[in-house]
Amino acid sequence: MSEALKIENMHFSYRAQDADQDDDASGFWNRLGFSGFSEKLAREEVLSGINLSLGYGETLCITGASGQGKSLLLRLIAGLEMPTDGTFYYFGEHVPNHLHTALNIALRGVGFVFQNSALVSNLNVHDNVAMPLSYHKIGSEEERAERVNMALDLMRARSEKDKYPHMLSSGMQKRVAIARAWAMNPKLLLLDEPIANLDVYNRRTLIPLIDNMRTLFHTAIIIVTHNLQIAEELNCNICILHDRILTPPHSFDFWLHSDDAIAQDLFRDLRKE
Amino acid sequence: MESDKSSKSLMFSGRILNRIGRVCLSSTAGKLLMLLFQAVRSIFSPSRSFHTDSNNVIAQVFFTGVQIFPVMFIIATLFGTVTIIQALTVMPRVGFSDSFGSLMVIVLVRELGPIITAFLIAGRSGSALTSMIGSMSINSEVDALATMGVNPIRYLVMPSLIGGIIAMLMMNILFSVSGICAGFIATKLLIAITGNVLNVHISWHYLSSSVLSALTPTDFVMTVVKPVCFAVIIVINACYQGLSIRQDSRQIPKATSRSVIYSFLYIVVTDVALSLFYIFQYFQAMSKII
Repeated sequence: MSEALKIENMHFSYRAQDADQDDDASGFWNRLGFSGFSEKLAREEVLSGINLSLGYGETLCITGASGQGKSLLLRLIAGLEMPTDGTFYYFGEHVPNHLHTALNIALRGVGFVFQNSALVSNLNVHDNVAMPLSYHKIGSEEERAERVNMALDLMRARSEKDKYPHMLSSGMQKRVAIARAWAMNPKLLLLDEPIANLDVYNRRTLIPLIDNMRTLFHTAIIIVTHNLQIAEELNCNICILHDRILTPPHSFDFWLHSDDAIAQDLFRDLRKE
Repeated sequence: MESDKSSKSLMFSGRILNRIGRVCLSSTAGKLLMLLFQAVRSIFSPSRSFHTDSNNVIAQVFFTGVQIFPVMFIIATLFGTVTIIQALTVMPRVGFSDSFGSLMVIVLVRELGPIITAFLIAGRSGSALTSMIGSMSINSEVDALATMGVNPIRYLVMPSLIGGIIAMLMMNILFSVSGICAGFIATKLLIAITGNVLNVHISWHYLSSSVLSALTPTDFVMTVVKPVCFAVIIVINACYQGLSIRQDSRQIPKATSRSVIYSFLYIVVTDVALSLFYIFQYFQAMSKII
Protein backbone atom coordinates (compact mmCIF):
# COMPACT_ATOMS: atom_id res chain seq x y z
CA MET A 1 0.00 0.00 0.00
CA SER A 2 1.54 3.32 -1.08
CA GLU A 3 -0.84 5.72 0.69
CA ALA A 4 0.41 7.89 3.50
CA LEU A 5 -3.10 7.94 4.92
CA LYS A 6 -6.23 5.95 4.23
CA ILE A 7 -9.50 6.29 6.12
CA GLU A 8 -12.36 3.90 5.48
CA ASN A 9 -15.95 4.49 6.54
CA MET A 10 -15.11 6.56 9.60
CA HIS A 11 -17.87 7.83 11.87
CA PHE A 12 -17.55 10.14 14.82
CA SER A 13 -20.17 10.93 17.43
CA TYR A 14 -19.79 12.98 20.54
CA ARG A 15 -21.95 13.65 23.55
CA ALA A 16 -23.98 16.84 23.58
CA GLN A 17 -21.86 18.97 25.88
CA ASP A 18 -23.42 20.94 28.64
CA ALA A 19 -22.01 24.47 28.90
CA ASP A 20 -21.63 24.12 32.68
CA GLN A 21 -20.02 20.70 32.52
CA ASP A 22 -16.64 20.87 34.18
CA ASP A 23 -15.07 17.64 33.07
CA ASP A 24 -14.14 16.75 29.51
CA ALA A 25 -13.80 13.00 29.92
CA SER A 26 -12.86 12.06 26.36
CA GLY A 27 -10.19 14.74 26.03
CA PHE A 28 -8.74 13.78 29.38
CA TRP A 29 -8.44 10.10 28.54
CA ASN A 30 -7.02 10.74 25.09
CA ARG A 31 -4.35 12.95 26.61
CA LEU A 32 -3.51 10.15 29.01
CA GLY A 33 -3.18 7.75 26.13
CA PHE A 34 -6.24 5.78 27.20
CA SER A 35 -9.22 5.43 24.94
CA GLY A 36 -12.48 3.56 24.96
CA PHE A 37 -13.87 4.79 28.27
CA SER A 38 -16.00 7.56 26.75
CA GLU A 39 -17.61 5.62 23.92
CA LYS A 40 -20.76 4.91 25.95
CA LEU A 41 -21.37 8.65 26.20
CA ALA A 42 -21.62 9.08 22.42
CA ARG A 43 -24.87 10.67 21.33
CA GLU A 44 -24.63 13.03 18.40
CA GLU A 45 -23.10 12.03 15.05
CA VAL A 46 -20.83 14.73 13.65
CA LEU A 47 -18.97 12.91 10.88
CA SER A 48 -20.45 10.08 8.89
CA GLY A 49 -18.95 7.56 6.46
CA ILE A 50 -15.71 9.49 5.91
CA ASN A 51 -13.41 7.97 3.27
CA LEU A 52 -10.07 9.57 2.53
CA SER A 53 -6.88 8.55 0.80
CA LEU A 54 -3.65 10.51 0.41
CA GLY A 55 -0.36 9.49 -1.21
CA TYR A 56 3.18 10.56 -0.31
CA GLY A 57 4.07 14.00 -1.64
CA GLU A 58 0.42 14.89 -2.19
CA THR A 59 -1.41 17.86 -0.73
CA LEU A 60 -5.11 17.85 0.04
CA CYS A 61 -7.25 20.78 1.14
CA ILE A 62 -10.35 20.20 3.21
CA THR A 63 -12.82 23.04 3.20
CA GLY A 64 -16.42 23.68 4.17
CA ALA A 65 -18.58 26.10 6.07
CA SER A 66 -17.83 26.86 9.73
CA GLY A 67 -18.92 24.25 12.25
CA GLN A 68 -18.97 21.34 9.81
CA GLY A 69 -16.18 19.49 11.65
CA LYS A 70 -13.10 20.23 9.51
CA SER A 71 -10.78 20.79 12.46
CA LEU A 72 -12.39 17.85 14.22
CA LEU A 73 -11.53 15.63 11.25
CA LEU A 74 -7.92 16.81 11.48
CA ARG A 75 -7.88 16.11 15.24
CA LEU A 76 -9.26 12.63 14.52
CA ILE A 77 -6.48 11.97 12.02
CA ALA A 78 -3.92 13.22 14.57
CA GLY A 79 -5.39 10.92 17.25
CA LEU A 80 -6.54 13.74 19.51
CA GLU A 81 -10.08 12.35 19.28
CA MET A 82 -11.11 8.73 19.05
CA PRO A 83 -13.38 7.68 16.17
CA THR A 84 -16.66 5.96 16.99
CA ASP A 85 -16.20 3.62 14.05
CA GLY A 86 -14.02 3.18 10.98
CA THR A 87 -10.58 2.04 9.92
CA PHE A 88 -7.40 4.10 9.79
CA TYR A 89 -4.26 3.16 7.87
CA TYR A 90 -1.14 5.24 8.45
CA PHE A 91 1.66 4.59 5.94
CA GLY A 92 0.06 1.33 4.96
CA GLU A 93 -0.34 0.08 8.51
CA HIS A 94 -3.72 -0.43 10.19
CA VAL A 95 -4.07 1.35 13.53
CA PRO A 96 -6.79 -0.24 15.68
CA ASN A 97 -9.10 1.99 17.68
CA HIS A 98 -7.55 1.16 21.06
CA LEU A 99 -4.17 2.44 19.75
CA HIS A 100 -5.71 5.52 18.16
CA THR A 101 -4.07 8.05 20.47
CA ALA A 102 -2.13 11.20 19.64
CA LEU A 103 1.08 9.78 21.14
CA ASN A 104 0.95 6.58 19.08
CA ILE A 105 0.09 8.37 15.86
CA ALA A 106 2.75 11.06 16.33
CA LEU A 107 5.38 8.35 16.80
CA ARG A 108 4.38 6.88 13.41
CA GLY A 109 5.40 10.14 11.70
CA VAL A 110 2.38 12.43 11.73
CA GLY A 111 2.94 16.13 12.48
CA PHE A 112 0.26 18.63 13.44
CA VAL A 113 0.21 22.43 13.26
CA PHE A 114 -2.55 24.00 15.32
CA GLN A 115 -4.58 26.99 14.22
CA ASN A 116 -3.27 29.00 17.18
CA SER A 117 0.30 27.60 16.73
CA ALA A 118 0.27 26.20 20.31
CA LEU A 119 3.94 26.91 21.00
CA VAL A 120 5.04 26.04 24.55
CA SER A 121 4.92 29.47 26.17
CA ASN A 122 7.81 29.03 28.63
CA LEU A 123 10.30 27.89 25.95
CA ASN A 124 11.99 30.14 23.42
CA VAL A 125 11.75 29.50 19.68
CA HIS A 126 14.92 27.36 19.55
CA ASP A 127 13.85 25.24 22.52
CA ASN A 128 10.32 24.87 21.14
CA VAL A 129 11.71 23.34 17.95
CA ALA A 130 14.42 21.35 19.75
CA MET A 131 12.17 19.99 22.53
CA PRO A 132 10.60 17.05 20.66
CA LEU A 133 14.00 16.13 19.20
CA SER A 134 15.71 16.01 22.58
CA TYR A 135 12.69 14.24 24.15
CA HIS A 136 12.95 11.47 21.56
CA LYS A 137 16.78 11.58 21.72
CA ILE A 138 17.03 11.99 17.95
CA GLY A 139 20.69 12.31 16.92
CA SER A 140 23.55 13.84 18.89
CA GLU A 141 23.49 17.30 20.44
CA GLU A 142 25.21 18.78 17.35
CA GLU A 143 22.89 16.98 14.93
CA ARG A 144 19.85 18.26 16.82
CA ALA A 145 21.16 21.84 16.75
CA GLU A 146 21.81 21.49 13.03
CA ARG A 147 18.31 20.15 12.41
CA VAL A 148 16.71 22.94 14.45
CA ASN A 149 18.65 25.54 12.47
CA MET A 150 17.68 23.86 9.21
CA ALA A 151 13.98 23.86 10.17
CA LEU A 152 14.13 27.51 11.22
CA ASP A 153 16.00 28.40 8.01
CA LEU A 154 13.38 26.60 5.93
CA MET A 155 10.68 28.68 7.58
CA ARG A 156 12.84 31.83 7.58
CA ALA A 157 12.56 32.14 11.34
CA ARG A 158 16.17 31.67 12.47
CA SER A 159 16.62 35.32 13.39
CA GLU A 160 13.91 34.92 16.04
CA LYS A 161 15.32 31.83 17.72
CA ASP A 162 16.01 33.46 21.10
CA LYS A 163 12.58 35.04 21.39
CA TYR A 164 9.65 33.65 23.37
CA PRO A 165 6.27 32.94 21.70
CA HIS A 166 4.57 36.01 23.18
CA MET A 167 7.23 38.22 21.52
CA LEU A 168 6.40 36.92 18.03
CA SER A 169 3.77 38.00 15.52
CA SER A 170 1.08 35.43 14.70
CA GLY A 171 2.67 34.87 11.28
CA MET A 172 6.04 34.12 12.84
CA GLN A 173 4.40 31.89 15.48
CA LYS A 174 2.83 29.91 12.65
CA ARG A 175 6.19 29.54 10.90
CA VAL A 176 7.84 28.36 14.10
CA ALA A 177 4.99 25.87 14.66
CA ILE A 178 5.50 24.49 11.14
CA ALA A 179 9.28 24.36 11.73
CA ARG A 180 8.68 22.46 14.98
CA ALA A 181 6.46 19.93 13.22
CA TRP A 182 8.87 19.64 10.29
CA ALA A 183 11.91 19.11 12.53
CA MET A 184 10.47 15.73 13.50
CA ASN A 185 10.62 14.77 9.81
CA PRO A 186 6.92 13.87 9.50
CA LYS A 187 5.72 11.75 6.61
CA LEU A 188 2.26 13.28 6.98
CA LEU A 189 1.73 16.89 8.06
CA LEU A 190 -1.66 18.21 9.20
CA LEU A 191 -2.15 21.97 9.01
CA ASP A 192 -5.17 23.59 10.62
CA GLU A 193 -5.89 26.97 9.00
CA PRO A 194 -2.21 27.75 8.30
CA ILE A 195 -2.89 31.16 6.76
CA ALA A 196 -5.78 32.30 8.96
CA ASN A 197 -5.29 35.76 10.51
CA LEU A 198 -2.20 36.41 8.39
CA ASP A 199 -1.61 39.50 6.31
CA VAL A 200 -1.15 39.28 2.53
CA TYR A 201 2.66 39.40 2.74
CA ASN A 202 2.82 36.56 5.28
CA ARG A 203 0.35 34.50 3.24
CA ARG A 204 2.43 34.95 0.09
CA THR A 205 5.60 33.85 1.84
CA LEU A 206 4.11 30.96 3.81
CA ILE A 207 2.37 29.15 0.94
CA PRO A 208 5.58 28.54 -1.10
CA LEU A 209 7.30 27.38 2.11
CA ILE A 210 4.59 24.75 2.59
CA ASP A 211 4.92 23.72 -1.05
CA ASN A 212 8.71 23.42 -0.62
CA MET A 213 8.18 20.86 2.12
CA ARG A 214 6.04 18.74 -0.18
CA THR A 215 8.39 18.90 -3.18
CA LEU A 216 11.71 18.66 -1.34
CA PHE A 217 10.82 16.10 1.33
CA HIS A 218 7.90 14.26 -0.27
CA THR A 219 5.71 15.02 2.75
CA ALA A 220 1.99 14.29 2.46
CA ILE A 221 0.09 17.39 3.59
CA ILE A 222 -3.54 17.89 4.63
CA ILE A 223 -4.67 21.48 5.00
CA VAL A 224 -7.92 22.55 6.59
CA THR A 225 -8.78 26.01 5.37
CA HIS A 226 -11.52 28.48 4.57
CA ASN A 227 -9.22 30.29 2.18
CA LEU A 228 -9.37 28.45 -1.14
CA GLN A 229 -6.63 30.54 -2.72
CA ILE A 230 -4.14 28.34 -0.87
CA ALA A 231 -5.54 25.34 -2.77
CA GLU A 232 -5.22 27.23 -6.05
CA GLU A 233 -1.65 28.27 -5.34
CA LEU A 234 -0.62 24.80 -4.17
CA ASN A 235 -2.44 23.26 -7.13
CA CYS A 236 -3.90 20.55 -4.90
CA ASN A 237 -7.15 18.60 -4.69
CA ILE A 238 -10.02 19.85 -2.55
CA CYS A 239 -12.57 17.92 -0.46
CA ILE A 240 -15.66 19.66 0.87
CA LEU A 241 -17.04 18.68 4.26
CA HIS A 242 -20.73 19.37 4.48
CA ASP A 243 -23.55 17.91 6.52
CA ARG A 244 -21.28 15.25 8.13
CA ILE A 245 -20.10 13.92 4.77
CA LEU A 246 -16.77 14.46 3.01
CA THR A 247 -16.90 14.68 -0.77
CA PRO A 248 -14.32 12.88 -2.95
CA PRO A 249 -11.30 15.05 -3.84
CA HIS A 250 -11.43 17.16 -6.99
CA SER A 251 -9.25 19.86 -8.48
CA PHE A 252 -9.72 23.57 -7.84
CA ASP A 253 -11.02 24.09 -11.38
CA PHE A 254 -13.54 21.26 -11.03
CA TRP A 255 -15.11 22.84 -7.95
CA LEU A 256 -14.90 26.34 -9.42
CA HIS A 257 -17.11 25.31 -12.33
CA SER A 258 -19.20 22.76 -10.46
CA ASP A 259 -23.00 22.99 -10.31
CA ASP A 260 -22.98 21.73 -6.75
CA ALA A 261 -24.84 24.25 -4.58
CA ILE A 262 -22.36 24.01 -1.69
CA ALA A 263 -19.37 24.42 -4.01
CA GLN A 264 -21.06 27.38 -5.67
CA ASP A 265 -21.55 28.95 -2.27
CA LEU A 266 -17.94 28.34 -1.16
CA PHE A 267 -16.41 29.45 -4.47
CA ARG A 268 -18.72 32.45 -5.00
CA ASP A 269 -16.07 35.11 -4.34
CA LEU A 270 -13.48 33.34 -6.50
CA ARG A 271 -15.97 33.01 -9.39
CA LYS A 272 -16.51 36.77 -9.38
CA GLU A 273 -12.76 37.32 -9.73
CA MET B 1 -22.72 -29.11 27.80
CA GLU B 2 -20.83 -28.54 31.04
CA SER B 3 -17.95 -26.77 29.32
CA ASP B 4 -20.50 -24.59 27.52
CA LYS B 5 -22.07 -23.68 30.86
CA SER B 6 -18.73 -22.87 32.47
CA SER B 7 -17.64 -20.69 29.53
CA LYS B 8 -20.95 -18.82 29.72
CA SER B 9 -20.51 -18.19 33.44
CA LEU B 10 -16.92 -17.07 32.80
CA MET B 11 -18.14 -14.63 30.14
CA PHE B 12 -20.81 -13.34 32.53
CA SER B 13 -18.34 -12.78 35.35
CA GLY B 14 -15.93 -11.19 32.85
CA ARG B 15 -18.63 -8.77 31.74
CA ILE B 16 -19.39 -7.86 35.37
CA LEU B 17 -15.69 -7.29 36.10
CA ASN B 18 -15.41 -5.21 32.91
CA ARG B 19 -18.39 -3.10 33.99
CA ILE B 20 -16.94 -2.63 37.50
CA GLY B 21 -13.58 -1.65 36.00
CA ARG B 22 -15.19 0.87 33.67
CA VAL B 23 -17.25 2.41 36.49
CA CYS B 24 -14.18 2.62 38.75
CA LEU B 25 -12.00 4.16 36.05
CA SER B 26 -14.64 6.70 35.05
CA SER B 27 -14.93 7.94 38.65
CA THR B 28 -12.75 10.82 39.86
CA ALA B 29 -10.87 8.54 42.24
CA GLY B 30 -10.20 6.09 39.41
CA LYS B 31 -8.89 8.82 37.14
CA LEU B 32 -6.68 10.23 39.90
CA LEU B 33 -5.21 6.79 40.57
CA MET B 34 -4.72 6.21 36.84
CA LEU B 35 -2.94 9.56 36.51
CA LEU B 36 -0.67 8.65 39.44
CA PHE B 37 0.04 5.26 37.88
CA GLN B 38 0.84 6.87 34.52
CA ALA B 39 3.11 9.46 36.16
CA VAL B 40 5.04 6.80 38.08
CA ARG B 41 5.27 4.59 34.98
CA SER B 42 6.54 7.51 32.90
CA ILE B 43 9.63 7.78 35.15
CA PHE B 44 10.92 4.62 33.46
CA SER B 45 9.95 5.63 29.89
CA PRO B 46 12.65 5.36 27.18
CA SER B 47 12.67 9.15 26.83
CA ARG B 48 14.15 9.62 30.30
CA SER B 49 17.13 11.91 30.42
CA PHE B 50 18.89 12.47 33.74
CA HIS B 51 20.06 15.95 32.75
CA THR B 52 16.65 17.26 31.58
CA ASP B 53 14.67 15.47 34.27
CA SER B 54 16.91 16.66 37.11
CA ASN B 55 16.69 20.23 35.79
CA ASN B 56 12.88 20.04 35.70
CA VAL B 57 12.71 18.49 39.17
CA ILE B 58 15.08 21.11 40.64
CA ALA B 59 12.95 23.87 39.07
CA GLN B 60 9.87 22.31 40.63
CA VAL B 61 11.52 21.98 44.08
CA PHE B 62 12.57 25.62 43.84
CA PHE B 63 9.04 26.70 42.92
CA THR B 64 7.20 24.43 45.36
CA GLY B 65 9.59 24.54 48.29
CA VAL B 66 12.21 27.26 48.26
CA GLN B 67 9.97 30.13 47.13
CA ILE B 68 7.36 29.29 49.76
CA PHE B 69 9.89 28.96 52.59
CA PRO B 70 9.79 32.58 53.93
CA VAL B 71 6.00 32.48 54.38
CA MET B 72 6.15 28.97 55.78
CA PHE B 73 8.93 29.96 58.22
CA ILE B 74 6.87 32.87 59.58
CA ILE B 75 3.79 30.66 59.99
CA ALA B 76 5.86 27.91 61.63
CA THR B 77 7.41 30.31 64.15
CA LEU B 78 4.02 31.85 64.94
CA PHE B 79 2.39 28.45 65.41
CA GLY B 80 5.31 27.30 67.57
CA THR B 81 4.95 30.41 69.71
CA VAL B 82 1.17 30.06 70.01
CA THR B 83 1.45 26.38 70.93
CA ILE B 84 3.98 26.98 73.68
CA ILE B 85 2.15 30.04 75.04
CA GLN B 86 -1.08 28.04 75.27
CA ALA B 87 0.82 25.19 76.91
CA LEU B 88 2.52 27.53 79.40
CA THR B 89 -0.78 28.96 80.52
CA VAL B 90 -2.73 25.70 80.67
CA MET B 91 -0.38 22.81 81.45
CA PRO B 92 0.96 23.92 84.87
CA ARG B 93 -2.65 24.27 86.05
CA VAL B 94 -3.38 20.63 85.26
CA GLY B 95 -0.06 19.41 86.63
CA PHE B 96 1.71 18.61 83.35
CA SER B 97 4.32 21.38 83.33
CA ASP B 98 7.08 18.88 82.43
CA SER B 99 5.35 17.62 79.28
CA PHE B 100 6.34 20.39 76.87
CA GLY B 101 8.38 18.00 74.72
CA SER B 102 5.50 15.57 74.23
CA LEU B 103 3.16 18.43 73.47
CA MET B 104 5.49 19.94 70.86
CA VAL B 105 5.94 16.54 69.26
CA ILE B 106 2.20 15.84 69.16
CA VAL B 107 1.13 19.27 68.00
CA LEU B 108 3.96 20.35 65.71
CA VAL B 109 5.73 17.22 64.47
CA ARG B 110 2.74 14.91 64.16
CA GLU B 111 -0.09 17.19 63.12
CA LEU B 112 0.51 20.89 62.48
CA GLY B 113 3.78 20.47 60.58
CA PRO B 114 2.53 18.15 57.83
CA ILE B 115 -0.98 19.62 57.66
CA ILE B 116 -0.03 23.33 57.53
CA THR B 117 2.82 22.65 55.10
CA ALA B 118 0.44 20.66 52.88
CA PHE B 119 -2.21 23.40 53.04
CA LEU B 120 0.37 26.06 52.13
CA ILE B 121 1.73 24.04 49.22
CA ALA B 122 -1.79 23.13 48.00
CA GLY B 123 -2.86 26.78 48.22
CA ARG B 124 0.16 28.17 46.45
CA SER B 125 1.87 25.55 44.30
CA GLY B 126 -1.15 23.28 43.70
CA SER B 127 -3.30 26.16 42.49
CA ALA B 128 -0.45 27.53 40.35
CA LEU B 129 0.07 24.09 38.80
CA THR B 130 -3.64 23.77 37.99
CA SER B 131 -3.83 27.18 36.36
CA MET B 132 -0.59 26.59 34.43
CA ILE B 133 -1.71 23.22 33.03
CA GLY B 134 -5.22 24.61 32.51
CA SER B 135 -3.86 27.52 30.44
CA MET B 136 -1.73 25.09 28.47
CA SER B 137 -4.81 22.93 27.82
CA ILE B 138 -6.82 25.91 26.60
CA ASN B 139 -3.98 27.10 24.32
CA SER B 140 -3.76 23.54 22.89
CA GLU B 141 -0.20 23.27 24.25
CA VAL B 142 -1.00 19.95 25.96
CA ASP B 143 -2.46 18.59 22.71
CA ALA B 144 0.56 19.97 20.83
CA LEU B 145 2.89 18.02 23.13
CA ALA B 146 0.95 14.83 22.40
CA THR B 147 1.04 15.45 18.63
CA MET B 148 4.84 15.70 18.85
CA GLY B 149 4.96 12.33 20.60
CA VAL B 150 5.84 14.05 23.90
CA ASN B 151 3.86 12.44 26.70
CA PRO B 152 2.21 15.36 28.57
CA ILE B 153 2.23 13.30 31.76
CA ARG B 154 5.93 12.66 31.45
CA TYR B 155 6.61 16.32 30.58
CA LEU B 156 4.22 18.05 33.02
CA VAL B 157 3.08 15.72 35.80
CA MET B 158 6.14 13.57 36.56
CA PRO B 159 8.62 16.41 37.37
CA SER B 160 5.95 18.14 39.47
CA LEU B 161 5.31 14.92 41.38
CA ILE B 162 8.95 14.22 42.23
CA GLY B 163 9.67 17.91 42.90
CA GLY B 164 6.55 18.17 45.06
CA ILE B 165 7.53 15.14 47.16
CA ILE B 166 11.08 16.42 47.75
CA ALA B 167 9.85 19.94 48.55
CA MET B 168 7.15 18.66 50.90
CA LEU B 169 9.61 16.46 52.82
CA MET B 170 12.04 19.37 53.22
CA MET B 171 9.35 21.86 54.19
CA ASN B 172 7.78 19.51 56.72
CA ILE B 173 11.06 19.00 58.57
CA LEU B 174 11.88 22.71 58.41
CA PHE B 175 8.40 23.58 59.71
CA SER B 176 8.75 21.33 62.74
CA VAL B 177 12.29 22.53 63.54
CA SER B 178 11.33 26.20 63.06
CA GLY B 179 8.22 25.77 65.20
CA ILE B 180 10.06 24.12 68.09
CA CYS B 181 12.94 26.64 67.98
CA ALA B 182 10.52 29.57 67.82
CA GLY B 183 8.53 28.09 70.69
CA PHE B 184 11.67 27.88 72.80
CA ILE B 185 12.72 31.45 71.99
CA ALA B 186 9.20 32.71 72.74
CA THR B 187 9.25 30.95 76.11
CA LYS B 188 12.62 32.46 76.99
CA LEU B 189 11.34 35.88 76.00
CA LEU B 190 8.20 35.45 78.07
CA ILE B 191 10.25 34.38 81.09
CA ALA B 192 12.54 37.38 80.62
CA ILE B 193 9.62 39.79 80.29
CA THR B 194 7.39 38.43 83.03
CA GLY B 195 10.24 37.70 85.49
CA ASN B 196 9.22 34.06 85.72
CA VAL B 197 5.72 34.79 87.00
CA LEU B 198 4.68 31.69 85.07
CA ASN B 199 7.02 29.60 87.25
CA VAL B 200 8.44 27.67 84.30
CA HIS B 201 12.07 26.55 84.12
CA ILE B 202 12.95 25.57 80.61
CA SER B 203 16.36 25.25 78.97
CA TRP B 204 17.27 24.33 75.38
CA HIS B 205 18.85 21.12 76.64
CA TYR B 206 15.68 20.24 78.57
CA LEU B 207 13.36 21.04 75.64
CA SER B 208 15.43 19.24 73.00
CA SER B 209 15.92 16.14 75.13
CA SER B 210 12.22 16.00 76.05
CA VAL B 211 11.25 16.42 72.37
CA LEU B 212 13.67 13.67 71.30
CA SER B 213 12.52 11.31 74.06
CA ALA B 214 8.87 11.94 73.11
CA LEU B 215 9.53 10.95 69.51
CA THR B 216 8.55 7.36 68.76
CA PRO B 217 9.63 5.22 65.76
CA THR B 218 6.15 5.81 64.30
CA ASP B 219 6.85 9.56 64.36
CA PHE B 220 9.98 9.07 62.28
CA VAL B 221 8.08 6.89 59.80
CA MET B 222 5.21 9.39 59.66
CA THR B 223 7.64 12.29 59.08
CA VAL B 224 8.32 10.63 55.74
CA VAL B 225 4.97 8.92 54.98
CA LYS B 226 2.68 11.89 55.63
CA PRO B 227 4.50 14.46 53.46
CA VAL B 228 4.90 11.91 50.65
CA CYS B 229 1.15 11.08 50.73
CA PHE B 230 0.16 14.75 50.94
CA ALA B 231 2.52 15.77 48.11
CA VAL B 232 1.15 12.99 45.87
CA ILE B 233 -2.42 14.12 46.66
CA ILE B 234 -1.68 17.80 45.97
CA VAL B 235 0.24 17.30 42.72
CA ILE B 236 -1.96 14.59 41.21
CA ASN B 237 -5.16 16.44 42.11
CA ALA B 238 -3.77 19.75 40.77
CA CYS B 239 -2.63 18.16 37.50
CA TYR B 240 -5.90 16.25 37.10
CA GLN B 241 -7.94 19.42 37.55
CA GLY B 242 -5.72 21.27 35.05
CA LEU B 243 -5.81 18.48 32.45
CA SER B 244 -9.60 18.18 32.75
CA ILE B 245 -10.16 21.74 31.54
CA ARG B 246 -11.60 21.90 28.06
CA GLN B 247 -11.48 24.85 25.66
CA ASP B 248 -13.08 27.37 27.98
CA SER B 249 -11.11 29.95 29.97
CA ARG B 250 -13.94 30.24 32.53
CA GLN B 251 -12.97 26.76 33.70
CA ILE B 252 -9.54 27.87 34.98
CA PRO B 253 -10.69 29.67 38.18
CA LYS B 254 -13.23 26.88 38.82
CA ALA B 255 -10.59 24.19 38.39
CA THR B 256 -8.11 26.13 40.55
CA SER B 257 -10.56 26.43 43.43
CA ARG B 258 -11.52 22.75 43.04
CA SER B 259 -7.83 21.85 43.11
CA VAL B 260 -7.29 23.66 46.44
CA ILE B 261 -10.54 22.62 48.15
CA TYR B 262 -10.33 18.95 47.14
CA SER B 263 -6.65 18.85 48.11
CA PHE B 264 -7.60 20.14 51.58
CA LEU B 265 -10.35 17.52 51.84
CA TYR B 266 -8.18 14.62 50.67
CA ILE B 267 -5.31 15.75 52.94
CA VAL B 268 -7.52 15.82 56.05
CA VAL B 269 -9.09 12.44 55.21
CA THR B 270 -5.61 10.92 54.65
CA ASP B 271 -4.36 12.51 57.87
CA VAL B 272 -7.20 10.91 59.82
CA ALA B 273 -6.48 7.55 58.19
CA LEU B 274 -2.76 7.80 58.99
CA SER B 275 -3.52 8.89 62.58
CA LEU B 276 -5.07 5.46 63.13
CA PHE B 277 -1.51 4.07 63.26
CA TYR B 278 -1.02 5.99 66.52
CA ILE B 279 -4.10 4.27 67.95
CA PHE B 280 -2.65 0.87 66.99
CA GLN B 281 0.61 1.92 68.58
CA TYR B 282 -1.25 2.99 71.75
CA PHE B 283 -3.13 -0.34 71.90
CA GLN B 284 0.13 -2.23 71.43
CA ALA B 285 1.73 -0.28 74.28
CA MET B 286 -1.30 -0.86 76.50
CA SER B 287 -1.38 -4.58 75.77
CA LYS B 288 2.30 -4.82 76.80
CA ILE B 289 1.51 -3.10 80.14
CA ILE B 290 -1.53 -5.29 80.78
